[in-house]
Amino acid sequence: MNAVGYAAPASRGSLSSRLAEIAAIVRRDHLLWVLCALGPVFALFAIIRVYPILETIRLSFYRYHPTQRNRPFVGLENYWRLLEDDAFRTALYNTVQFCVLAVIITLTLAFTVAVLLRSIEKASPIYELLLYIPVVTPWVPASVIWKWIFDPIHGILNYALSSIGLPRLAWLQDEHVIVYAIVLVSVWKMLGYFVVVYGVGLRNIPDEVLEAAELDGATPWQRLVHVVVPLMKPLILFTVIIATIIFFNVFAPVYVLTASAQGAPAYDFKVLVAEIYQNAFVFYRMGYAGAQSVVLLVFVLSLVFLQFFLFRDKRREGAA
Amino acid sequence: MFKERPIILAAYVVCSLLALAAVTPFLWVLMTALKPNPEINAWPPQLLPREPTLEHFVRILGEENFLRYIFNSLVIALSSMTAILFTSSLAGFIFAKYRFPLRGLLFSIILATAIIPIEVYIIPLYLMVFGARLMNSYFALVFPFVIMTFGVFFMRQVIMSIPDELLEAARMDGASEFWIYARVVLALSKSGLMALGVFAFSEAWANFIWPLVVVTSKDMYTTELGLAIYQRQFFIEYGPISAGAVISILPMLVVFSVLRSHIMKGIATSGLRG
Repeated sequence: MNAVGYAAPASRGSLSSRLAEIAAIVRRDHLLWVLCALGPVFALFAIIRVYPILETIRLSFYRYHPTQRNRPFVGLENYWRLLEDDAFRTALYNTVQFCVLAVIITLTLAFTVAVLLRSIEKASPIYELLLYIPVVTPWVPASVIWKWIFDPIHGILNYALSSIGLPRLAWLQDEHVIVYAIVLVSVWKMLGYFVVVYGVGLRNIPDEVLEAAELDGATPWQRLVHVVVPLMKPLILFTVIIATIIFFNVFAPVYVLTASAQGAPAYDFKVLVAEIYQNAFVFYRMGYAGAQSVVLLVFVLSLVFLQFFLFRDKRREGAA
Repeated sequence: MFKERPIILAAYVVCSLLALAAVTPFLWVLMTALKPNPEINAWPPQLLPREPTLEHFVRILGEENFLRYIFNSLVIALSSMTAILFTSSLAGFIFAKYRFPLRGLLFSIILATAIIPIEVYIIPLYLMVFGARLMNSYFALVFPFVIMTFGVFFMRQVIMSIPDELLEAARMDGASEFWIYARVVLALSKSGLMALGVFAFSEAWANFIWPLVVVTSKDMYTTELGLAIYQRQFFIEYGPISAGAVISILPMLVVFSVLRSHIMKGIATSGLRG
């Protein structure tokens, strides 16, 4: 159906009759309107999305300072420097560590909650609503709130810890603890979103499937592991990719939580996006920051390809 | 899903605890914002303020100029929302209802940019604004947010469900394509537009890294930026900071609670498709 309009006209008439045919197609399919409506929107996409992405790659091969005329091509030099840059290596390590923890904890918890909510269907909207409140909270105020909670002296978290006999922690000052503080904020903020997403997936599982398993004498655990989880696999995979990309780009909570407060210096927890920000917009080493951005781009793209291939294998299995 | 009693009991306990954990930080910061200074650092901490006061709100809105930041955020979020609703519905309409050459390719190009976060290409965006000498302007703050890949995809889904017969009927009556878009398509996709509008508004309101990069003077700060910079000062007071946090969250909460059902439906129908 789709291709019909654009197959070469069958008649081998003169040039003018061809033109007339094309004009007829243009009119029939409203192609002028399509051009006028889609053209500007697509141009915006080209200028605001496509060009900057390609330009980032180009920049990474240059030494580039925005106010200097001299912007020499340096080949792969920026990338070689990345390999020797301790700050970058630390940032990458921290980002991966944070991301793995945040993804695993958020998704495990969200899946558990979503499954439990399906057992108390009547009460679930109110729980989903309450859990969704942190999701609509922007990262900056969310981090500001938690910074106050993490306060080593007056914070309620340490108050709660000490009142049940546990030692107080220097949440934002101790280099070994701060990653957990940022993970805590991130899990708190994103949990509700994934609860809702899993909830939609779980509601799509037909009741008959579960009832059949129950009639066969499957325990709740068996039903979960052998029926629910396999059916949810594509959705789980999708959420892993989405959550990984969200958390890998962590910046605002790090910016807020690692800023010193009340004269108590916070530990300078470096992450990838903060490194890009600093190199590009504090030191104006844009070529070098470009190379770091390309690392981020490659990471995101490889995740997307991974998802694509896993889904394709899945489909092939289904067909076989 | 499970009808076993212990599981139902566990469900109530676990979900209640987590829901409590989700809202407690808000209550705590709201209470802090309402406490006079001596009460904020009282030991042991008290949840409720004994003598509630609005002094921190007065201070943050007046002295710290947050009123101006809120105004800036509103201008940016509303312009971005309007632009995204327009561009997404128009492009979504075209992709949903017309056949034209290169349709698949153009749609793939738009989709391909969906997953790439702004942090990846923020440097060239900055250089464009810098080169055009538009730093520190509303234009600079809004321009990366006039389009949204997800929006195009989402509106295409929404508009695809409008029956072709309706559009044909309008054409028979002599309606132009633009009239069909403006009067038929938009009217029939109100719910979708609402969900997308909320999403676009909050994305623009919550964005932090872009204003951080292009804003150079205090009068152009957004609420997020103002809050993040304010809490970086060497000596900070939690009272005004908490008031600032409450102010920055409030619009999101209001919008969300008013349009909750639209948002949840939006997630259900499309959030799953990436």
